[in-house]
Amino acid sequence: MATMTRLLNKPLKAFGFYALIILLTSIPVYVLVVDYIWLTELDESNWLTLQHTKEKLQSREFTEADILKINQIWGELQPGVSIVKSDHKIPEDSIYEAMRPNEFDPYDSEDRFRGLKSQLKINGYLYEITIETNVEESNETLLAVAIVTISFFIILILGFILLNRNISLKSWRPFYQTLNSLKSFDLSKDQHLKLPHSDIEEFKELNKSLLNLVEKNVAAYERQKSFTENASHELQTPIALLKSKLDLLLQERGLTPQINELLSGIHAPLSRLSRINKNLVVLAKVENNQIGEPEYLKVTDQINSSFALFEDYIIAKNHSIEQKFENILNVHANPFLLETLLTNFLSNAIRHTPNGGNIKVQLKNRTLIFSNSGRNELIHKHMFERFSPTSKNQITSGLGLAIIKEIANKYGWKVAYQFENGFHIFSIEF
Amino acid sequence: MKILIIEDEASLGRDMVKYLTNEKFRCEWVSNYVAAMEKVGNYNYDCIVLDLMLPGGDGLEILDALKKLQKQDGVIIISAKNSIENKVAGLKLGADDYLSKPFHLAELSARIESIVRRKQFDSQNLIIQNELTIDLRSKTVEVNKNQVILTKKEFDLLLFFVGNKGRVLSKSAMAEHLSGDYSDMFDNHDFIYAHVKNLKKKLKDAGYGDYIKTMYGSGYKWQQ
Repeated sequence: MATMTRLLNKPLKAFGFYALIILLTSIPVYVLVVDYIWLTELDESNWLTLQHTKEKLQSREFTEADILKINQIWGELQPGVSIVKSDHKIPEDSIYEAMRPNEFDPYDSEDRFRGLKSQLKINGYLYEITIETNVEESNETLLAVAIVTISFFIILILGFILLNRNISLKSWRPFYQTLNSLKSFDLSKDQHLKLPHSDIEEFKELNKSLLNLVEKNVAAYERQKSFTENASHELQTPIALLKSKLDLLLQERGLTPQINELLSGIHAPLSRLSRINKNLVVLAKVENNQIGEPEYLKVTDQINSSFALFEDYIIAKNHSIEQKFENILNVHANPFLLETLLTNFLSNAIRHTPNGGNIKVQLKNRTLIFSNSGRNELIHKHMFERFSPTSKNQITSGLGLAIIKEIANKYGWKVAYQFENGFHIFSIEF
Repeated sequence: MKILIIEDEASLGRDMVKYLTNEKFRCEWVSNYVAAMEKVGNYNYDCIVLDLMLPGGDGLEILDALKKLQKQDGVIIISAKNSIENKVAGLKLGADDYLSKPFHLAELSARIESIVRRKQFDSQNLIIQNELTIDLRSKTVEVNKNQVILTKKEFDLLLFFVGNKGRVLSKSAMAEHLSGDYSDMFDNHDFIYAHVKNLKKKLKDAGYGDYIKTMYGSGYKWQQ
């Protein structure tokens, strides 16, 4: 699976990357610019010094010995300047650069110097005058600029992160609140979705659309619920009539064995119809919260009474029963719902176990496990949903597991199914 | 003995009248709240079969009225509402029993028998059928003064037969009587056969006539 990125981290990455590229390209540009300014300024300064020196030298009458003396003094006081006799004429002033050791800076191997050479005539002799100034090397400039730039880059990124968090907290807050409201919304419990107010137009529209959508869903869900409820109530009367008519029909004289056989064949589907309907009524009740007050109930008592109720069916199918209750467990639930839940588990086990099979009921801590022998694993998918087929050759109401799930959901209990070593294992954690 | 059936569904009301009426019981049927109140106010019944959902009023109010009139009529509630709250409310208001729809007419008949019996024999809970004596309090059965040891289920079935004399009982109705509301979770009720066989054998061994007839393909019938 691809790693997920939070919405706001996406622009942050892009901004950071862009800033990095720009700042990195800025380093050589800065170095070139700084170097250029340096050199221009130094050249100008050298030229000014040269003009000044030339003027002063020419304004007075210096002898050859004087010049020699001046050069010597300069050499001692200001090593960058010198004046020596020249034997050939150079056409114009020239600028040069030189690398040489600096006697005042022993740690630096070589320094860069910028010089200006010129000629002038004193007493008819041609002299060459040189002015040199120490310049920062360009690799040192590069290092300084790089350090400064990278420091700024780090400050920039930290700023981005802080700003991003700030923006996320403030402007995106309604969005995340909406997201959380949606996550915690449960169609079977909540009637309305509560969304935060927002000044941002997109969020406002998003919330409006969501509210609209949820409202429609709630309405559809309500319609479905009331349909189930009404349908099951409406069906009760015709089922009751069928049952009573059948009872009366059995009393008629002169029924042949063939007719009797047909009549008793009606009982099984009628029972099933009646069971489906009762189950729908229970589902509607749980969904609509129309069930009575919870009480503290002992789970093992209820299991025992369910076993007593179904004793005949267990004997008829020759099942062997194993019970292992490791502790006493009290649950807080409505008695009718707990009874419904447990009888559904047990009747499922009895019905679906092949004749002479095993049924085990275990209670360990807060978990109750019903295991029964079976041949093939049931179809897991949607097995706890209404009328979902769990296997191909079964006649059931199709609602037993849905009721179990619905009741478990109501009380926050967890149900699970697995198939292991030829046993269907249903567990419920109270 | 007089039975009043208060049921708004006409067809079901007529079926109950037809099934319950015999040499012992006379049945009257009303289908709405006003008529029911009138009957209840003017006459006494041994048992009233009361549907809670009535046109014109709530069945529970009829119960309330009976209580205020200090009537001793036995009441059995039949309701499609099938809810525990209704059951509790009904029993609190003085109903003797509660049966949720749909039910077998045989079950209703047995329950009415039981209520009527309780109202009649306050001191001595005995049912005597020829040479058979059933003691409801100690739950024992005697044939010609010889005690017959029955299991709880055989005893229940015997009472079910006695409450439905001369009527054909389906296996489905008998299973529902024994396992209650949950019997319709199962399609096969063949275990009834074993219980009836044992009951017949025990009664016969004690010298009681073979009154339980097997109706081929449909069920059983108590015939004297």
